[in-house]
Amino acid sequence: IMNAFGLIQICLILLCTTTISSLQCNHLPLQQKKVIEKSLKLLDKMGKRFPQQCLREKAFFRFPEQVLKPRQKETVKVAIEEIFQHIFYIFSKNLTLAAWDGTALEQFQNGLYQQIEQLEACVIKKQSHYFGSKEVNRMKLKKYFKKIDCFLKDKQHSLCSWEISRAEMRRCLQLIDKVIRKP
Amino acid sequence: GQTNLKSPQDIHVYVVNTNFTLRWNYTGNDTNVTFSAEYRFEDFETNEAEWQELSGCQNVTGMECDFSSAITKYYNMHHVRIRAESRGEVSPWSSIFEMVPYDIAQIGPPGIELQSRNGVIKIKVSPPEANQVRKMVIDHPSFKYILVIWENSSSAEFRSQSIFPTAIIDDVSPDTTYCLKVQATLPFDSKEGLFSPIRCVKTTRKAVNNLHCATNVSVLALNMDFHLHWNNQYKHHVSYNVQYLIGYLKKLHDDYSTKWLSVPGCENITVTQCNFSSVITTTGFYYLRVEAITEHNKSCLSNEVKVEPLITNEIGPPGVKVDISDVLLHIQISPPGGAESELMRDSYDLSYRILYWKNSSNNEDEIKMKEIKQTIGTVSDLTPATWYCVKVQAFTEIYNKSSRYSKEECIRTPKGKFIPLVILATFSIALIAVFLVATPLGFALYQAYNKIKYVFFPSCQPPLNIEGFGQFLNSPYLSATEEPIENFSVIEHIITDEINQVDFKDYKHSKQTSRDSGNYSNDDDTSGNKASEVLEKEMV
Repeated sequence: IMNAFGLIQICLILLCTTTISSLQCNHLPLQQKKVIEKSLKLLDKMGKRFPQQCLREKAFFRFPEQVLKPRQKETVKVAIEEIFQHIFYIFSKNLTLAAWDGTALEQFQNGLYQQIEQLEACVIKKQSHYFGSKEVNRMKLKKYFKKIDCFLKDKQHSLCSWEISRAEMRRCLQLIDKVIRKP
Repeated sequence: GQTNLKSPQDIHVYVVNTNFTLRWNYTGNDTNVTFSAEYRFEDFETNEAEWQELSGCQNVTGMECDFSSAITKYYNMHHVRIRAESRGEVSPWSSIFEMVPYDIAQIGPPGIELQSRNGVIKIKVSPPEANQVRKMVIDHPSFKYILVIWENSSSAEFRSQSIFPTAIIDDVSPDTTYCLKVQATLPFDSKEGLFSPIRCVKTTRKAVNNLHCATNVSVLALNMDFHLHWNNQYKHHVSYNVQYLIGYLKKLHDDYSTKWLSVPGCENITVTQCNFSSVITTTGFYYLRVEAITEHNKSCLSNEVKVEPLITNEIGPPGVKVDISDVLLHIQISPPGGAESELMRDSYDLSYRILYWKNSSNNEDEIKMKEIKQTIGTVSDLTPATWYCVKVQAFTEIYNKSSRYSKEECIRTPKGKFIPLVILATFSIALIAVFLVATPLGFALYQAYNKIKYVFFPSCQPPLNIEGFGQFLNSPYLSATEEPIENFSVIEHIITDEINQVDFKDYKHSKQTSRDSGNYSNDDDTSGNKASEVLEKEMV
């Protein structure tokens, strides 16, 4: 009896979760705009102006802008969600030397992650392949973020390396913001 | 040189984590055949690259080789080919196998640590590639783990759920053996990893002294005012601590138990509810739980409740005020939440739905709808002298939420015909008034003007016969025109003579006839009358 009740409970929970998720999947693109708006504000809020001494260490990361330009709007949306994921994981590394505002950083991460989790549920449900398996752009995106990750590791997560990365992520989000605002 | 050596076939690469294995088939009869492979990779900048020796796959005797050390660029396109060698002869190259390492790589099995206590199973999952230097997946927190669990009995049903790296499975029966396996997945890359080996564990008895735990933990939120409610069977001497966890920390930290924080104002309380709005922001999500502590310092943690503020929150109804002017209905909406909920309205991007209808006795009038983004709306096309009722609801398209409707506000439109009549009447009256006032006034002014002119600016022209004024006159008197003079003379005689000469024949005739009437002539004075009658005839 306990097993049956337990199983029914689980089925109900899964059913409810899927129903709720399916309702949210349609509105994800609308929420993306809000997430980007808030993320940009928090990114600015968490630190001060770019420190002068770090200008010497400027590294050149080439963000693959083609990822945001494909013909299908659907592909762009998923590319944006993947970028959110990468940004989320970049900011989850060792941040002690960055000395940023902890509250703003928490809110920034929290907001990104909520969006990621919602989309994950939609992707799992639909089980569709958004990217072609030989999509070059997707690999370029991964390369770009891996380069930033390696840069941070090489500089031992110093203050300047974090400030440079933050400026780079800001640029990235602004690019996305521009793309999303186009009708 | 080229010989009869066959080239290897069915060449393919098998990758698990960062372990690359090349496999092929060889159908030739020859013994003493070795195989050597080559590879090249495409860089995004340069199109062509040279073929290089594939280290780990040189002079291989079997049908597979490990070349993990040779590959470092996991996101680039690689080409691999292999050929057979025997006694100085080489076969032609096999067909080229194309691959992007990341794409074909399989996620390896994760590691599992199990603990069984208090009737629940505690799982700790370690990621694939946990202790490796080179990793295919750089962000280990990005793995999403799927647990498959079943009872170790004959008619067991599989059940699968998504779990965090540190998870507690509490929907299990006590004193039962369960078997489970876990796989790591990457939803965005549509990758499902290999399952871990199956592990079985027996659950213990449930601890009975959990009566004082908080149960039925639920969240009620209205206009971003969040309240946590719970029940407790054990009413006596229990104090509560409400704790919250910022959502993403569960994902990033395997052991997040130290990350729980107390909700300010809900520490050591005895009521079964808590207002936790102070810790909530509109970005992200949270977990809430209640710790119940008895007087004997026994602590028990309730279930966790996940709170996604903008989704859990209920939008309250807006306020409505209506006003009417001529044929326009003005609707003033006061947004839900009042002045302090600016953030809520901004996050939701609120719009308003106005319903309005004629409130007549027959309820068949259709309800009309209008959607606006501002807080002031107007409705036109109204029938005069009718009661209209309005109610408004706030809604957000982004989150697909809408509030309850506000109270109905009703107002009556003014009489339509009245208005033009009023205008006409007012105009006419004004016109008449103007005339009534203007005319006498004008006349009076004219008179006054004349008087003033007479008194102060007289037009003094002297009479003509006063001497001395002739010099003021430019021209002397013009000779007067001949005035008509009538020659009067007495002509009494002529008249009587002319009368005697008149023929009396006609007269007598007429006289006789006139006697008959009598009314019109006087017999006594016939002579005089005759004369004057003739005279009149002549004169005519």
